[in-house]
Amino acid sequence: MLGIWIGKLILWVLRLRGRDATSLPGKVALRISPGLIRRFGGQVKRVIAVTGTNGKTTTTSLLSGMVVEREPVVTNHKGANLAQGIATAFLRSCSWTGRLSADTAVLEIDEATLPAVASDLPIGVIVVTNVFRDQLDRYGELDGTLAKLLEGIRKTQATLVLNGDDPLCRYLGLRSSRKVMYYGMARDTARSPRREQMRDGQFCLMCGRPLRYDGFWYGQLGLYRCEECDFVRPHPGFQGELQGGFLRFSEEGLPDLLLDLPVSGLYNAYNVLAAASAARALGLTGEAIHGGLRAYRPPEGRMQRFELAAPVTLHLIKNPTGCDSVLDAVVTDGRSKVAVIGINDLAADGRDVSWLWDADFELLAEDQKLSYIVTTGYRAHDIALRMKYAGFPESRIRIEPELAAALQLGIDEGTAAGAVVHALVTYTLLHPAARWLSERRDEREPQAALYRTSVS
Amino acid sequence: MSHKPLCIAHLYPDLLNLYADRGNIAVLRRRLEWRGYEVEVAHVTHSEIPDFSRYHLVLLGGGSDREQAIVAEKLRACAPAFRSAVEDGLPVLAICGGYQLLGEYYQLPSGEKVPGIGLVDMVTEAIPDAPRLIGNIAVWSDEIGVIVGFENHGGRTRHGHRPLGRVLHGHGNDGVSGHEGLRHLNIWGTYVHGPLLPKNPALADAVLRDALAYAHLPDHLEALDDRLEHEARAAFVSLRMNEVAPMLKEEAGSP
Repeated sequence: MLGIWIGKLILWVLRLRGRDATSLPGKVALRISPGLIRRFGGQVKRVIAVTGTNGKTTTTSLLSGMVVEREPVVTNHKGANLAQGIATAFLRSCSWTGRLSADTAVLEIDEATLPAVASDLPIGVIVVTNVFRDQLDRYGELDGTLAKLLEGIRKTQATLVLNGDDPLCRYLGLRSSRKVMYYGMARDTARSPRREQMRDGQFCLMCGRPLRYDGFWYGQLGLYRCEECDFVRPHPGFQGELQGGFLRFSEEGLPDLLLDLPVSGLYNAYNVLAAASAARALGLTGEAIHGGLRAYRPPEGRMQRFELAAPVTLHLIKNPTGCDSVLDAVVTDGRSKVAVIGINDLAADGRDVSWLWDADFELLAEDQKLSYIVTTGYRAHDIALRMKYAGFPESRIRIEPELAAALQLGIDEGTAAGAVVHALVTYTLLHPAARWLSERRDEREPQAALYRTSVS
Repeated sequence: MSHKPLCIAHLYPDLLNLYADRGNIAVLRRRLEWRGYEVEVAHVTHSEIPDFSRYHLVLLGGGSDREQAIVAEKLRACAPAFRSAVEDGLPVLAICGGYQLLGEYYQLPSGEKVPGIGLVDMVTEAIPDAPRLIGNIAVWSDEIGVIVGFENHGGRTRHGHRPLGRVLHGHGNDGVSGHEGLRHLNIWGTYVHGPLLPKNPALADAVLRDALAYAHLPDHLEALDDRLEHEARAAFVSLRMNEVAPMLKEEAGSP
C-alpha cells in the first residue's frame, strides 16, 4: 500500500512539473512494495502481452486503441516496457487506494522482463511481433532471447499470436505447447531481396540445416522452409495484403477488412496486422479495429515532424533491421537533406555499438541529396567513423557530442542549404531530442503570431 | 598500381556475422583501396567449399552457438587444406566465435563438446551459470599498442601460444589470466569486436602487411590520414575506460 501511495505521489509531483513519467514512479514503488505487479495482476481479469524485437510499442498502442473502443484499458504507452514501466502503467490507472477501474491491460513487455512478470499477471494472449537482433549485450546472443521468451510463455496458459513469416516466431510456436494463431502477409507479395542484408535465424532451429527462402518481406521475414525437416512457414490464419495505402485483412470465414495504415512502411503494416490479429483473437469487432486505427497518433520517434526554420523529422534507431527501415525512409525523401545522427551507448541503447556496422549506412553515403552529416551523442565519433568507411566525404561530417548544439547545427545547415533535416537517434537521446525540438517549435509560434500582428 | 588484387576471404558471412564483421571487411578493403591496391573480397557462404590456395587473408567472425557448430562441421571437412595454408603463412583474423573454432573444442554450458579444427593448441569451455564476459575492453599489445573494443563471450579460452596482448580493462580470454587473444604463425585470434578494426587502424594495417607479404605484393604501407580514427579511440577510452587514457597518449607520442 505504501508503495502505491508513494508511486502515485511521485507521479503527481512529476505531472505538476509538466513531466510525463513513464518509469520512475513504478521503480520507486517496486522498491518499497516488490509484490506490486502481482497485486495489480490480481485485480485485472486479463492481460494481453505484446513482446518481440521491433514494433512492440506501435503494436501495443494500436491494440490498446482497439480494445479501448469496447472497455477501459491499462496500458504502458511510450515503450516503457521493463518491470518499472509496467508498474507505472498500473499506478497511472489506479486510485489513491490502489483500486483499478479497468478489467483489461494491454502491456508492452520487454523480452527479458517477460519471464520475471509472467506468473504475476493473468496473461491470456501473448503477441510476439518478431525476433530480430537487438541489444545483444543485454541478452547475450539471439538464442538467449528465444530462451527468455519461451521461459516467459511457459509460465502462462496464454494463446499465442505469432508472426508466422518469422522463422524464430514459428519456432516459439512449435516449442511452446500453447494454442497458437499465426498472422502473415499474402504469399504472392513476397519479393526477392535487392541488397545484401543481414538475416538472423537462417538456419532451421529444429534440425540445424540451412533454411531456403522462396521470397522475403524484410529482414528474415519471408517464405522459409527447411531443406531437411518439415520446418516450414505456416499458412497464416490472419493474412494481410498491402493495397495502396490500405491493408486488406482476411480471416477464413469472415469478410475481409480494408484497414487504414496510420503509419507508413512495411514494418508498420506488420504492426497493424499484428494488432488486428490479436484483436480478432480477443473477439473484437471490425468496428473496434477500425476505430482503434483511426484514433492512433504516432508516438515520439516514429517519424515525428517539427516545423522549424528547416523542417525536422525525428526517427528512433536501435538495431540494424529497424535502422535499415529508417534509412530507407530517409533516402526515399527526395528533397535536399541534412542528417543529424545521435548514438548513445547506455543500457537502454545497448552498450555495444557494433550494430552500427550491420546497418546499411552505405544507403546514406550513396544519397546524392544528402549534403551534410552532424554526429552526436556519447558515441558521436563511432558513427562519424562508420560514415567515413561507408564512403561519405569526411569533410562533410561534423562531430558535435552535445545533442542540442548538434541539432542546432543541423537546422542552421539545413536552413542555409534550403534542405530538410532528418534526425536519427538512439533510445536515450529520443526524449531529449523531442523535447528540445518541441521547445524550439513553441518558441517559434508566439514569434510568428507577433510578426503577423505587427504587419496588419 | 597494376598489381594483382589482394584476395580477402570472409568465411561463412551467412553464419558468422553476429558482431558486424562487415565492418572489418569494409576497413580492410578501404585501407587498401586508399593506397592504390586492388581488392577482391570472396564471401564464402555455407553452400560453397573454400579454396584456400586462392586467398591471401581469411576472416572468421562470430556467431551464436548453434551457427558456430555448423561452421565447425564445415571447416573440419576442409581442415587439412586450411592447416597447410596457415602453416605456409596464410594470415587468419579470427574474432570471437571464429577464434574459438580454431582450437581443439568448444564446450557448451550443457557439457557437450563441439570439436574445433585444431589449428592451434587451445580449448574453450563455457561454465554453466558463470556470467558471460561482457563489456568494453582494452588490451596492450607490444606489436600494435592499445587495442580497444567490446567483448561478449560465454566461453573461457586457454591456449599454449602467445596471447595477442595483456588486458588493460575488461576480461580477455578467460577473465582471470589477464591475457587476451592469440598470436601464432600469422593467426590473429581475439575476442575484441565492436567491430575490431575501425578503431584499431594499426592492427588493421599489421594484418594487411601480413597479407600483402603472403601475396608477394609490396607490403610497405604509406601512412593514411587517421585523425578521425585516433579521435574516436581517444573519445571512447576517455568516456568508458579512462584509466587506459595515459597509455593511449604515450602511443600517440611515438611515431
